Amino acid sequence: MTLASLTRPWRAFSYGFLDASAKREMRRKMIKAVAVPGCQMPYASREVPIARGWGTGGLQVTLTLVNPKSVVKVIDQGADDSVNAASIRRFLTRVSGAGATNDTLAASLIQSRHRIPEEKLRADQILILQVPNPEPLRPVEPNMSAARQMHADADYGRLWLTLYEQIVRSGRVMQGASYPSMVNGRHVMSPSPIPRWDVPKLHMADHLTILSAGREKRIFAVPPHTRVEPLVFDDVPYRVEDHAGLTCARSGLTGYFMNEIPQDGGGSAHEVSDSELGVKAIRRAEGEDPEIGATWYVDGEMQR
Amino acid sequence: MPTLTADPQLPEPDAAEARDNATFHAVLQALSRPGTVHGLPGAGACPVAQALVDRECRVWTDDRHLAEVLAMTGAAMVAPELADHLFLSLASAEAMDRLLRVRTGSRLYPDQGATVVAPARISQGPALDLAGPGIAGAARLCLGGLHADIWRVRARLNRYPQGIEMLFHDGAALVALPRSTTVTEV
Repeated sequence: MTLASLTRPWRAFSYGFLDASAKREMRRKMIKAVAVPGCQMPYASREVPIARGWGTGGLQVTLTLVNPKSVVKVIDQGADDSVNAASIRRFLTRVSGAGATNDTLAASLIQSRHRIPEEKLRADQILILQVPNPEPLRPVEPNMSAARQMHADADYGRLWLTLYEQIVRSGRVMQGASYPSMVNGRHVMSPSPIPRWDVPKLHMADHLTILSAGREKRIFAVPPHTRVEPLVFDDVPYRVEDHAGLTCARSGLTGYFMNEIPQDGGGSAHEVSDSELGVKAIRRAEGEDPEIGATWYVDGEMQR
Repeated sequence: MPTLTADPQLPEPDAAEARDNATFHAVLQALSRPGTVHGLPGAGACPVAQALVDRECRVWTDDRHLAEVLAMTGAAMVAPELADHLFLSLASAEAMDRLLRVRTGSRLYPDQGATVVAPARISQGPALDLAGPGIAGAARLCLGGLHADIWRVRARLNRYPQGIEMLFHDGAALVALPRSTTVTEV
């Protein structure tokens, strides 16, 4: 063994920004996250050139997985063109040489903040969700060590109690995004602040989902064909947002998750949250023929 | 004055990065879909070791050639009961004793369970029925070249969420059994 064999030629930066050692740590933790679905695995969470809380966890996963053949799609709250999504997408392509796309069907890696695309993901695609607060127990147990013990004991009574109290006070479950969900019948996870609409898309899916919280330094995963069951009572079924009957004012789509756009004079219009799906529908209306994949919801009903 | 032009050329991974990336995609897909066979960029445990192990790791191996590769990574060579990555043959009764001692993590820290990488003959030998996350319905896998007690030992180690991950390589082919998979001998 010589010194020369232990060093590498000088480069301005590592391929994919993260150095080889950071990537190996990510790989080791992703392996454990996939092996114990829904269980939060601690990791080092290196510095990346965006601030913690703006998608650093998802970015580190994507940077570890990306290669020149990858095609990345980055979503922020359903949209591909927000500042956060556009910046992350540009950064990813500049440090990896990967292709970029807005089209869910063309992407191999989909990094997303707070939405899962409406078009069904395939087995060859990996969904990477950015997670601000990975700990579903934090509202009921702020002590991290105590919460870890509760996960170890599968002691989730206090989460059920929270849901019960919401029903008693308000007549329904008030939890909107980050709906606590049981994964593989063992660990309760926060599915990141995706709406209730998106949680059933993780249940028995064809694709792998990796959830990563950079600020909180936790990574967890939902492998394909894994049970993801929102916590519900037998007599109070899980309900998704009441968007089935809403129509997008721009694309004419009906039966998908919508953004509410306040109007002058007090009313509101709706716009489909998955922006690229809306774009495809508009292009189709204009006579083009973009490929629109099968969607999880059809006419507002989840398909199984 | 610096010019604000586009990058002169897109970044390219070097050979090691390309190999490690391809290896990890195979490992991740193999663990996500237990029982399915995936291709490694090279034969044997070597690419897996290079993609996963560095000086933050504690390793054990019974393979003299691989020991040299592992030494290059800077990982500490420790006893099997301390190692987080083990590269070994699982064909002998002695190996079964060794396997019984590996770290399985704790309920508090399931991530401290070991990753075990072993040679096997994929699609030959006794049939196994697999069930669990990553498997649509049921899957069947044939794995040969392993000691007859291996699945009893594995069942003893895997007290979910405690347990070990097993990666089996046969040339450049890889299959994986994460701890979440239930293995039934047919």
